[in-house]
Amino acid sequence: MITGGLAVATLASLTAYAFSGGDTVASAGGGIAALGAVMLAVGILLRFPFAVPWAVLLSGAGYVLANVHRSVVDGWAAVVGAALLLAAELAFWSIASDRRIHQEQALAIRQSLTLAGLVVAAGLVAFMLVAAAAVSVAAGLLLTALGVAAAVGAVGVVLRLVR
Amino acid sequence: MTRRASSKLGAYAALSAFGLVAALVLGRPEIVALTAPFLFAVCLGLALGGSPRFTAEIEAAERTIEGDEVDVRITLAASAPVDRLDVFVRLPPGLRVTRGEQARSLRLARGERRELELTLRAERWGAHRIGPVYLRTRDPLGLYSAEGMLARTPEIRVYPREDTLRRILQPRDTQVFAGSEVARHKGEGIEFADMRPWAAGDPLKRINWRATARRGEVWVNESHPERNTDVILFVDSFAEARGEDASTLDLAVRATAALADAYIARRDRVGLISFGGILRWLEPGMGTVQLYRIVDALLDTQIILSYYWTGIDVIPQRTLPPNALVIALSPLLDSRSVDALLDLRARGHDLCVLDVSPVPFTRRAESGVDAVAYDIWILRRDALRHRLQRAGVAVAEWHEGAPLAAALEEVRAFRRHARVVRA
Repeated sequence: MITGGLAVATLASLTAYAFSGGDTVASAGGGIAALGAVMLAVGILLRFPFAVPWAVLLSGAGYVLANVHRSVVDGWAAVVGAALLLAAELAFWSIASDRRIHQEQALAIRQSLTLAGLVVAAGLVAFMLVAAAAVSVAAGLLLTALGVAAAVGAVGVVLRLVR
Repeated sequence: MTRRASSKLGAYAALSAFGLVAALVLGRPEIVALTAPFLFAVCLGLALGGSPRFTAEIEAAERTIEGDEVDVRITLAASAPVDRLDVFVRLPPGLRVTRGEQARSLRLARGERRELELTLRAERWGAHRIGPVYLRTRDPLGLYSAEGMLARTPEIRVYPREDTLRRILQPRDTQVFAGSEVARHKGEGIEFADMRPWAAGDPLKRINWRATARRGEVWVNESHPERNTDVILFVDSFAEARGEDASTLDLAVRATAALADAYIARRDRVGLISFGGILRWLEPGMGTVQLYRIVDALLDTQIILSYYWTGIDVIPQRTLPPNALVIALSPLLDSRSVDALLDLRARGHDLCVLDVSPVPFTRRAESGVDAVAYDIWILRRDALRHRLQRAGVAVAEWHEGAPLAAALEEVRAFRRHARVVRA
């Protein structure tokens, strides 16, 4: 229940951030993000894991819509991405947990630390991407080619891991 | 174990793909930033995940007595780290956990060996197989899970708790082997039977010197020999009345075990017939081994729904030796068993019936047709008992909670006063 509450609170804070733009577009984006938070809450209550990606998608779409008028990349996008991951992880944790199963305290602590490390690392990755995107806007063909090569390399690594 | 991807992996992969495509289509770099954490989680999870390598065994005591506790030990040993292992032990209805956790999650380090202890209380007699024991592992990020179950799980044979019987039913006739029952006929024994004039061949030790001195001629004592008896325990497993914690079959099985124990302690030969949907029998035998055979056979007794009309013809003849006392334990709910009992009596068997009353397991309606039907059912049961008694069968109604000895005393009283009729 704690993890579920934290997940919904995370998406709710994203919703508040989307609403903070103040204009009509931001309000529309905030509304979509709020819908995502509600969907996540319902999914957690009904223990329906397929609601989680849709909730994350709605919240992310709401954030993007709220920032659509900006010409430059939002510096908080990395934090928002990490927050979305945190909300999804907490929601899956909440849905998977079962009171009837006695869980060792060390296991819960380890899972919390793993989650924290994952979110921080993912946030750093997203931050580096945002920084790279900001640089590439002003850069020329060389950095663009470097980015494409990095993307191809990343896909190759993923394919290798999946295999 | 079967390894499969979790819904989380699918969700993260779909979000990543959708985000990257959306970023390309819309030309918004921040969408990549939103998507990157999920892509990173997928890559990291795939890198860290692997097939679980561990072994699991479960062991428990083979035998226990109803009401006692038994320890179960699950041993887990990992050759590679298992980040999260869920263990769930499914238990049959007759066993309940008193100490320990039936379901628990734990972590195993490389080379770690863990023993999970469970204490179970055997609440009902029977052969209870523990399990299945379900095992589920998850990788560190929960993208993959592997599920399986233990192929071999132990069986706990819970013996019924027996009453201690001080007096038991004495058969009408005895057999030829030495035992504890005083035979009706005369022969070599300890119990005094009668006196008669001396005859050639009588040993000197049997001369009654006082009677000889008083009568002026040699008189000898006659005695009753001590013989064993044959007892057949007849358990009706056609139907039962069941409450929350007990049933007529439970009572019958416990009483049967107590009777078998008491008779075998007297060196009598005891056999068993479980008469129901499945016919089981044990030919009469004596000794501790036979007692274990009977109790083991009782553990497999269960009510199996059957519409097959079964008579006593299906019982092997050697299972029903002549002059054997047949003690039937029946709730008298199924007409097939009632007919079989009457048939046994008609064939001259020394029969008595312990009517394991189903009445405590039922409830009379307050009023209306149901109440009338209930009253008629009670009257029909009374009529059935009288019908058996008219046939010369000693019948005693035994209620849950009442001592078995009281019911046996009622049967004994009937047999003491009833006239033996031989067809």
